[in-house]
Amino acid sequence: MTMIRRLKENLFLVSVALVYIIMFIATPVTGMESVKNSGYYIKEMLMIMPVIFILTALLDIWIPKEKIMQYLGKDAKSKGVVLSFVVGTISAGPVYAAFPMCIMLRKKGASIRNIVIILSSWAVIKVPMLINEAKFLGPKFMAIRWILTIISIIIFSWIADKMIIDKDLPGEVLTQAGFHINRDACMGCTLCVKNYSELFEIKNKKAYIKSYKELDMSRLESAIKSCPVKAISYNENKEM
Amino acid sequence: MDIFTLAIWVGTLIFLGISITKDKVKTKQALKMALGMGKGMVVSILSIIFAIGLILTLIPPTEVATFLGTQSVLLATIGGALLGTVTLVPAFIAFPLVGTLIHAGVSVVPSVAFLTTLTMVGVVTFPLEKKAFGIKFTAIRNGLSFLFAIAIALVMGVVI
Repeated sequence: MTMIRRLKENLFLVSVALVYIIMFIATPVTGMESVKNSGYYIKEMLMIMPVIFILTALLDIWIPKEKIMQYLGKDAKSKGVVLSFVVGTISAGPVYAAFPMCIMLRKKGASIRNIVIILSSWAVIKVPMLINEAKFLGPKFMAIRWILTIISIIIFSWIADKMIIDKDLPGEVLTQAGFHINRDACMGCTLCVKNYSELFEIKNKKAYIKSYKELDMSRLESAIKSCPVKAISYNENKEM
Repeated sequence: MDIFTLAIWVGTLIFLGISITKDKVKTKQALKMALGMGKGMVVSILSIIFAIGLILTLIPPTEVATFLGTQSVLLATIGGALLGTVTLVPAFIAFPLVGTLIHAGVSVVPSVAFLTTLTMVGVVTFPLEKKAFGIKFTAIRNGLSFLFAIAIALVMGVVI
């Protein structure tokens, strides 16, 4: 059973691996070429991902929730929209580099609309890319496409915000009673166990709460804070 | 390394330095967190990268160009948008390629549809985005991006 579940969780990885295996058996030359084509992207990843992870963690630790809510939250209005575009534009790296950053911002209270703007502009509006476009397709072409893209993102982020409610996002279902661990997000890094081994344990590479009599709030808080994917939440008002 | 990546490195290292002088324990925790995030994402990212390599081999950019240039405008636009959705061609290949197409007289609309969905909509990053933000968010964001990419292409066709 667990085997099937793990296969399902990694369906994408499994199918990519399968195609590679089939290809290497059928036409080893194309297989080799695919691996070679991936090389550029591996280099791209190694150049950007370490710094993105460190920056996300540092921002997470030093920027208080209130600040993020003030600048990127629901009430930030046009200020939040502009700031989101700036964040997305000055960023570097492929769109998946935006995911850890956006998860962190989301947990700290950034609105859905602003997350959509950051993700989309991170993917599309890149200064080096714009320069490249102007070079090969002309400045006028680039400028018009750039303006249209910004208008589009402004409109569809607004639509997305109307269609998606907070509950649709993982990790939002959780704050009902007492503890919740978002097991889709949890990746079994064991940091929570290291912080508070009496309360947390890892089973099948996922964190679980042990039964407890009393809570050490400061240790619980450091465990919640240290979770790299923000999968743990605790609501003081209700008991389990 | 382009200047923006470099700037992020420099900025982050300065930030890290300040963080260490202010609070060593917190900084250490941040670094552990960063490592945890990396471990959590590395498998997903590698599967994305190898999927891109695979798609680049199976649907080479030059084939895409031929397709966009030989079909009727309507078919080429829809096809271009779909091809842009499934492929992830690096910008330094995509721009010169589309540049040659347009200079050779291929209609602007399919070319822009391809260029825009190329970066805005991601089938290969879908599983990871779903894991981070849930299926509804991911489907809506990518779906709307696709529709608006076609709208951008149509407007570009009129304006240019």
